[in-house]
Amino acid sequence: MSFGLKSLMTRDKVPVPPLGGLIFIGFVIILIILAAYPLPDWQLVSSEQFAGISQQHPLGTNALGQDIAARAEKASWHSLRIGLIVTLCSGFLGMFMGLIAGWNAGRWPDGIILWLTGTMEAIPFYLFVAAVAYAFRGLSGSMELAMIVTFWTTMARLIRAEVIRIKQRDFILSARTIGLSSFAILRAHILPNALPVLLVQFSVIFIAAIKAEVILSFLGLGNSSTISWGLMISESTQEVIAGHYLNFFSASVLLFILIYSVSLITDSLQTRTDPRQGVA
Amino acid sequence: MPVFVRKTLYSLSLLLGVTFISFMLMVYFGPDRSYAIAGKNPDPVQLQEIRQQLGYDQPLVSRYLVHLKDLATLNLGFSESNGKPVSSLLAETIPVSLLLLLPGFLIGNLLALILAMTAAWYRHRWPDRLLTDLSLIGVSISFLIIIILLSTWLCTPQGLNLFPSRGWRVDGLGAWFMYATVPSLSLIFVSVFFNLRFYRALLLEEMGQDYIRTARAFGADPYSIMFKEAFPNILIPVLTRLLFSLPAILVSGSLLLETYFGIPGIGKTSFDAIFNADQPVLNAVVSLSAILVIIITWLVDFLYPRLDPRINLRLETQ
Repeated sequence: MSFGLKSLMTRDKVPVPPLGGLIFIGFVIILIILAAYPLPDWQLVSSEQFAGISQQHPLGTNALGQDIAARAEKASWHSLRIGLIVTLCSGFLGMFMGLIAGWNAGRWPDGIILWLTGTMEAIPFYLFVAAVAYAFRGLSGSMELAMIVTFWTTMARLIRAEVIRIKQRDFILSARTIGLSSFAILRAHILPNALPVLLVQFSVIFIAAIKAEVILSFLGLGNSSTISWGLMISESTQEVIAGHYLNFFSASVLLFILIYSVSLITDSLQTRTDPRQGVA
Repeated sequence: MPVFVRKTLYSLSLLLGVTFISFMLMVYFGPDRSYAIAGKNPDPVQLQEIRQQLGYDQPLVSRYLVHLKDLATLNLGFSESNGKPVSSLLAETIPVSLLLLLPGFLIGNLLALILAMTAAWYRHRWPDRLLTDLSLIGVSISFLIIIILLSTWLCTPQGLNLFPSRGWRVDGLGAWFMYATVPSLSLIFVSVFFNLRFYRALLLEEMGQDYIRTARAFGADPYSIMFKEAFPNILIPVLTRLLFSLPAILVSGSLLLETYFGIPGIGKTSFDAIFNADQPVLNAVVSLSAILVIIITWLVDFLYPRLDPRINLRLETQ
């Protein structure tokens, strides 16, 4: 059995409601409404501290009188951007590494890539980020860089396993016999068959990146020049004790909606593409 | 080459890899410490001497070898922020983190295993669906959110105000319970759903096997099927997960929990080291935790063929 993108879309043995997609669209709609709403600048400090929900401040204000809705909107875009950058860079890096390793399984390129994944996986992630941040102090992309160079390893392992599994099949042998180059076989025959694993792993990286960004910026290891959910939550820890929940809830609910929708999508992708889960 | 030798060589190559990375990030590209040591307005001769003492004039390879030797002999230097030897700092803080995290770690796994057994037994029926939906919601909630919600609810006058909101004291079982409960609950909450999903997937695969069907046909009760039949067969992946998540939980989990609750464990120490740019401490924590992971990997490879002889066979034929 092989699954391409088409069979992935149409195969509907397991009735999975497209709940994840709907929630994700809901998240995007919230962002569009926030963007369309005339909000004050996210940095603007005003004298209205801890204002409640009003027409001017749809989500109230924080301890500095800054508009929470504007900050939440800015933070959401920031989070999405980091998620996308890390997912694309790290995902494709992992994909190429996996393709190279799997195609050359048992030879030296495979050995080097396996060694590299083993090495990266041995260093605890948050400490690695700390070490990168320490080495490149002041460089604004150090958090993203650290995520990119650590998150690719699982993708590489899975793609490697897929390539090894697929390349033993007869149609690869025929492709070789008619003289197709390695590159052409990988692109036209192996990659489409590894697509389900690829898609699932892309969304897994996305979730990991969003979650890590929140924790890192909460800890103060993120990009402090902009606002993020982690920074909002960090501000709100003091506010929550005093009974002001709006800042905390705005950031955490948006974070939850995004992660939950992508998790639902990942899960239904996985159920649709993993034959064991569907049949057994 | 025998599997054992091959695995050992691989582990050694990983050791070289992680120590080289930690060396490059924290020693080679790290900040020049000579100015800090020399103080304000240093004269060039003095600066040169300090640089020589720190080995900055040596080539990369010999500096790396010194770094390796220091790690191997646990000559970890002194903390720059409080002057204590790094090794004694670690000896003080690691037990604190273990006392803080181990109960939550164990309960989080045990609870997940029991829930996973329930889900696997009632596969596709309501208990399974409920647990599956709940666990997806659970894994989507950030650790941070869980910590803040639980501590606000249990530790502040806004909520029940049952436990102290910060700090650490272990002069007795009662004090330990007071200070460790809320962090442990947070850890259990964040880990139980991840573990549940993992254990459920493992058990479902076993439930499809013939021996389970036969046991069911003979009328064995759910408990004996789960604990006597299925559990021994998933023991190896379970053990792997426990062993490999331990260093991650110990370091990453403690980083957030200990900084939030102000507990003087290894996580708080690493956090302080990050912000004080305390290179010897940071270097020791990064290098030693990575080395620990590699040693665990090596032990696992060494141990598993003893637990399940089929593994060795598979490795030989690879």
